[in-house]
Amino acid sequence: MKAFEFVAARDSEHAVQLLAEHAPSARVIAGGTDLLADLKFSSHVPGVVVDISRAQDLRTLAITDEGLNIGTLVTHTEIMCSPLIREMFPALVDAAHTIGAVQTRNLGTLGGNLVTAVPSMDSGPTLVALDAKVTVAGPDGRRQMPLTEFFVGPRKTILKPDELLVEIIIPKENLGKPTHFLKFGLRKGQALALVNVAASFWVDWDKNVFIAPRIALGAVAPKVIHAPSAEAYLEGREITPDAMAEAGRLAVGDAKPINDFRASAGYRRDMIAVLTKRALEGAYALAQAKRKKT
Amino acid sequence: MVTVTINVNGERRTASVPPETTLLKLLRESFNLTGAKLGCDVGDCGACTVIVDGKLVNSCLMLAGQVDGLDVLTIEGLATTDRLHPIQKVFEEKGSLQCGFCGPGVIMSTKALLDQNPNPTLHEIRDALAGNLCRCTGYTKMIEAIQAIAREGTIERATAKSA
Repeated sequence: MKAFEFVAARDSEHAVQLLAEHAPSARVIAGGTDLLADLKFSSHVPGVVVDISRAQDLRTLAITDEGLNIGTLVTHTEIMCSPLIREMFPALVDAAHTIGAVQTRNLGTLGGNLVTAVPSMDSGPTLVALDAKVTVAGPDGRRQMPLTEFFVGPRKTILKPDELLVEIIIPKENLGKPTHFLKFGLRKGQALALVNVAASFWVDWDKNVFIAPRIALGAVAPKVIHAPSAEAYLEGREITPDAMAEAGRLAVGDAKPINDFRASAGYRRDMIAVLTKRALEGAYALAQAKRKKT
Repeated sequence: MVTVTINVNGERRTASVPPETTLLKLLRESFNLTGAKLGCDVGDCGACTVIVDGKLVNSCLMLAGQVDGLDVLTIEGLATTDRLHPIQKVFEEKGSLQCGFCGPGVIMSTKALLDQNPNPTLHEIRDALAGNLCRCTGYTKMIEAIQAIAREGTIERATAKSA
């Protein structure tokens, strides 16, 4: 690796100070699973690497007035092991489990995965399906935005060089919303998604209809996207296998998959339909199981 | 330069290294602990696997400055000069390693698994080894070794010794 300076931040405030001091030539390191892999093969090396891995205030994982707040430094392993998340959002656990392997899940952070803004990221779809927001801190203070606006394009976020992603928030109204995540890759271990999908909805049990349905697709557009036509189709509609299959077909039209060495666009389109339907089935099964419990 | 002090295999060691030095390089070149190997250098192969503060990690993906003050356990911390660690012993008996390049990483992953879960299922074992690539022996004999350790309860000895 080419030489750079290394500074460690004590907390998020200190990290923002350090970024203000060293931007635009600074890069943030947390888990390092993406940054170091990049820097080793990049000719463009930052002047300063700001280590935030010791900033304890970025490790929170708690229910607040806003909803479920997940600190940017919470690792994929911590998501998998959190009793709170296991109970409320098994889809987040499943998504975290599909990332890398034990070693990289112990290091890699949720914030880091989002900041890379790789279209195939496995943390993205579930959070987008749950209408997650993010909080960004910079020299002028903090601002919030929907996660979908945080992503700008492939490997591009809205973050300015002196800004830091500090937390991810699943809004209060979506706590416990039945959600299911599916990833389709070429292998089970350490593979990037060809397509990944999350589906989320409440059920009106009196009428057995979809309420606030959300479908999020990864790896099939420049960033993680909603499938708006599928969502609109399902809203208020009776929950049936046919409706789920039709939503899958509509979701295909919302995506813009590319051809690459992993799969053709046509294959990805077929998989969107299949996975969307299955993700809806999974979320419905979860909703039914939750209802039985209460 | 950054000055890094780590507790490696129970011993406090300090080195001054350039900031871009990875934990792997620190271990191998400053502390002469060459058990952890440089394979892919991007976190895919697991040859560099060590345990930092109880967590299994790729040492090629951490900067030395990030581990300052932390506990690091490497393959050298398992065996003594006169006795192999029980995991190593079973791997030897079962012929679970041929060239051995991936071995230190595989054994550290096995240790991290068994420390948390002394009686893993086949699926859990495979999941635990997903971050360790072996290109010659294959995984079957490694999995058999881990199952044998779990079956024979060798792990009580394994964890007791390294605690």
